[in-house]
Amino acid sequence: MAIRNFYAEKCNGCGICVACCPMDVLRLDEKAKKAVVKYPKDCVACWGCESFCPRGCFDVTPERGRGELVSPY
Amino acid sequence: MNKVESLGTVITTDVLILGAGGAGLCAALKAKEQNVDVLLIDKMGIGWNGQVPIGGGILAYVYPEYAEKWAENVTRQSFFFNNQDWTYQLGKYMHKSTLDLADMGITFFRNKGELNILNWGPNIYVTLFDAPKSLVALKKTAKARGVKMMDKIYAIDLLKNGDTVVGAIGLGLTDGKTYLFNAKSVIVATGNCGYMHEKTYSSVLGEGAAMGYRAGAQLVNAEFSSSYVWGIKVLGKELMGIHFYLYLENARGEKIMGKYYPELMTGKHSVYTFDPRVIDAMQKEVKAGLGPIYINLTGLSDSEIAGLAEDQVEGLTHLMGNDTMKLLREKAGIDPSKERMEMWPRYLYSGGGLRIDINGMTTLDGLYAAGGASSNSWSGGGGGQGGLGVQSAAVTGFVAGENAAKYAGKAKLLDIDFNQAKNALDRVMAPMQQDGNTDAYDFAYRVHEAVVPMKYNRQREAGRMKEALGIVQDARNKLSRVGAKDFHDLARYHSAESMTIAAEFTYKAALMREESRAGHFREDFPHRDDKNWFKWITIEQKNGAPRLATLPVPLEKYKLQP
Repeated sequence: MAIRNFYAEKCNGCGICVACCPMDVLRLDEKAKKAVVKYPKDCVACWGCESFCPRGCFDVTPERGRGELVSPY
Repeated sequence: MNKVESLGTVITTDVLILGAGGAGLCAALKAKEQNVDVLLIDKMGIGWNGQVPIGGGILAYVYPEYAEKWAENVTRQSFFFNNQDWTYQLGKYMHKSTLDLADMGITFFRNKGELNILNWGPNIYVTLFDAPKSLVALKKTAKARGVKMMDKIYAIDLLKNGDTVVGAIGLGLTDGKTYLFNAKSVIVATGNCGYMHEKTYSSVLGEGAAMGYRAGAQLVNAEFSSSYVWGIKVLGKELMGIHFYLYLENARGEKIMGKYYPELMTGKHSVYTFDPRVIDAMQKEVKAGLGPIYINLTGLSDSEIAGLAEDQVEGLTHLMGNDTMKLLREKAGIDPSKERMEMWPRYLYSGGGLRIDINGMTTLDGLYAAGGASSNSWSGGGGGQGGLGVQSAAVTGFVAGENAAKYAGKAKLLDIDFNQAKNALDRVMAPMQQDGNTDAYDFAYRVHEAVVPMKYNRQREAGRMKEALGIVQDARNKLSRVGAKDFHDLARYHSAESMTIAAEFTYKAALMREESRAGHFREDFPHRDDKNWFKWITIEQKNGAPRLATLPVPLEKYKLQP
């Protein structure tokens, strides 16, 4: 699931989520001044966007966009 | 338009720094003190990338009067396997680098205005800083001091003129432009390889070591420092905090740490998230059929749980223990005060990196490295404590920044060699010409099957490591089917390829080292063998293939002798 909800109406286009996403999932729509979830499958659910967004625009679940985790044992 | 400009947008500078995590920003700030042009680029947004902002905000510290003794202790703990020149330099630099970081704008935990140094164990000292905002602070200072910066540029290959590094190729992720950076000196500060397994460390995927290798630089210590952290299974995330180890139990509800490490159960200890003792205990319990392992915080209040994270610091941003508990409640529907949670070891990152000398220079002219992308053998298996990753990033960054700037001050800007640039670009762009429908990420996850299981990477053995290498090779073969539609896809392709290179080198070096030492454990060679293996393993490209060689530890040149 990864990014379950993105509340675009709250977004003011500050760009912090785009800057802190390690997977290049998010981009900025310069015209609309809003973040865009452009590559949702690549999300690893690190919670960077949710933790750093100053306006609470993100709701990220624990599952990644893809890739089952391999057991260490 | 000259020929090189037909290949992409050319940007010139004196010092080019690839990667703006802790090491890259420290390098940029120090280089700028020499009054040269400094350009810092990053694949993410500068101020937010790297391992520092999502780390625990712990900085290792050594009192200046204790630095010699500290270096001596590390040397003895490593059985003289460390690079003593670097160990002494790191020990002596830590006080100054801490003051420099404070001066450059990082918020530290203070007491009456003075930096507060905490004692976290016998001769273990740390300071705490505001990690999430630390790099934004350094960025602000760097900008004010004239460092130029470009965000969302994915650097993937180095440019050379003869044997000298003269720049790098960058993919503009948002503008779709191809950049050719032309510089007098280049610093690789792109981190190590985290294989995007432990989520929070997903930005580091081994690109720096891979591009240095392709350019002809030497790598070292690939078999060491592969680390596991312990984390909450359902969140897929480590659990940061120095006292949580007390609450680990097996399926029967028996506390596990005291069974194997009774000394940890009395007095005050800081057992951080990647402490190998925890992974050992977990693995032994599971092997004995007593798994899975849980953390049992039932009955504790939120503030008691937050207190386990570490010494609470007023005024510093926390994304640690308390934040994890919030995630559990809100995302996984688990109330940590009412139910126990399954824990398991998670693979953090591989070790090794570009071999650097005492000045931060690699084996290639004009190329420097810092932070996780570099390897200076300062530890050799000794001196483990929390906060050394950040401190080592800062010190190697400062050292590489200063020396790369001095180099640039004396050197002439060498032109980009059109043929070398064109060949490198053809290789970088090749997946854009392929018509594959497969995605690079699917193969990136295939690499996990080779690096994550502890039977391959922690309890190493020749036959199993060959099996792991087979998985890596399979992932790489399948990469040839990938087609990239845009620069996002192309960057994913090159990250996946860099991961296969990191994994291949780890296992090749681990296979070669037929002994056990310093976190490299071979079931088939369980003892340290100084007679045959008192040497470092290097990897270098020769005729298009990796060539492994050994480098004796130059003990005769060092201060301390066994």
